[in-house]
Amino acid sequence: MTRKIPVFFLVFLLFFATARTAEAMHITEGILPFQWFVTWFAVSAPFVGIGMYQVKRKKRTIPSYLPMVGLLGAAVFVFSCFPIPVIALSGMATSHPCGTGMSAVLLGPFVSVLVAAIALLIQALFLAHGGLTTLGGNVFSMGILGSFSGYFAFKMAQRCRLPLFWCGFLAGMISDIFTYLGTSLELGLLVINGGGSFVKATTEIFAAFMMTSQGILCLVEGAVVGFVMVFIYKRRPGILLNLGVIKNEAKSMGT
Amino acid sequence: MKFLHHTFSDLYARQDNWLTRIDVRIKMLYVTLLLSLNVWTKNATVPLFFLFVSFLLLFTIKIPFTAIIRNMSLPIVFAMLIFLVKSLHEGKQVWLSISILGYNLAFRGEGIWSGLHVCSKILGGVSLLMLFSFTTTIGRLCTGLTWFRIPNTVIELLAFMYRYSFLLLDEASTMWTAQKSRLGHVSWKKTIHSLGILGGLLVIRAFDRAERTHDAMCARGYEGGGILTIPLPPWGKKEYISCIGMVLIIPILVYIGNMRLC
Repeated sequence: MTRKIPVFFLVFLLFFATARTAEAMHITEGILPFQWFVTWFAVSAPFVGIGMYQVKRKKRTIPSYLPMVGLLGAAVFVFSCFPIPVIALSGMATSHPCGTGMSAVLLGPFVSVLVAAIALLIQALFLAHGGLTTLGGNVFSMGILGSFSGYFAFKMAQRCRLPLFWCGFLAGMISDIFTYLGTSLELGLLVINGGGSFVKATTEIFAAFMMTSQGILCLVEGAVVGFVMVFIYKRRPGILLNLGVIKNEAKSMGT
Repeated sequence: MKFLHHTFSDLYARQDNWLTRIDVRIKMLYVTLLLSLNVWTKNATVPLFFLFVSFLLLFTIKIPFTAIIRNMSLPIVFAMLIFLVKSLHEGKQVWLSISILGYNLAFRGEGIWSGLHVCSKILGGVSLLMLFSFTTTIGRLCTGLTWFRIPNTVIELLAFMYRYSFLLLDEASTMWTAQKSRLGHVSWKKTIHSLGILGGLLVIRAFDRAERTHDAMCARGYEGGGILTIPLPPWGKKEYISCIGMVLIIPILVYIGNMRLC
């Protein structure tokens, strides 16, 4: 009897056999067919446009806003290059965080989408991670889903009066999960043309991500973002106040 | 993090050779059109042609083979994965069957062809992107984007992020080494805490530097407009010839790409 090997087994095998650094959240150039390349660009464009409008509007009232967004974007970009050892693979592999949860909390979701789009463009051109035709798809998963889910998770946690660490933790973790969910969804949609089951393919790919280094990475990124927030709050609470992350220092949450 | 300095710099793009001297607008037009063609094509001939030509051109400007392979390594892993998934899951006609640990690996004809097709698209697309990035500096890219009427906000942010990524990478590397020397990464738990501190410090430094950068920019006459880019000269004979070349090549590639070879 022929038993089909599940997709997640193949992904697992490849993670072990090839890359020490798992960087699976970007869809590589050439994978998306023409119709999906156009569709994802169309879906992502309005969000990037709103982000651009917000930056432009704020730049008029606060002239130093643009350098600040650029530098914070660069900081988040560097943060996303941190090699995090993956405990599930006994340190055999390292992975890197998305960083969109943190940028959404610091800059707001729309500006974070714009920053993610630019970071993805830089990565596609100068690191060969991702691609230009897959830029729309990657912006959707990492920029839009990652930023909005992280932002709302943070705000919800704040409303529930959770300590700042847990607010950051939830933002980092949930944005990561949604990023991988988005990537799985985009890859799952590809099987529709071949007559395959979209739900099955998406579930298998998402399970593959979560069962390898990326599942643990979500928790780790959450913890790192939590520590980042607490560290900034302890050292320079004014930054969080200026960026509107916390409302009032006197009323702010415990760490 | 040090590996980024080798791969992520426009070191090769700053060299003077016949490919870096080509007008950035022409390169951008070519890359956009050829990448679109690469994903649209119905057979592997055109992507493999892109791969071959890109490699050939990169060798003519003496780009080290190791630099090319370093950039290609991740896309190759993706290509392998896609090939395996497609060849084991798509189609009915079994071409090759191997049994490993009780699992029967049945490679199917349709899946193998389809997998090879996607693999060729990945390799073709990535090689085109590499050809562009190894021959275009960020400054030139910003100039080209300005000419194509991309909003100033995007170009300014792109320039800022690119410029300060290197600076912050250096700072992060120094802090990382300092943390390591003080046993900040001695256990997994401590590593996570140290990374949190490192991330926090990066945000604080970025925030402080933003204020200083803005002051310095104002002192140099910045009034909130776009960044200064080199004005591009009007198109000359070379550029028009390149455009005519594109008009002639594209229909041929479209014709070849539209053929059903397998």
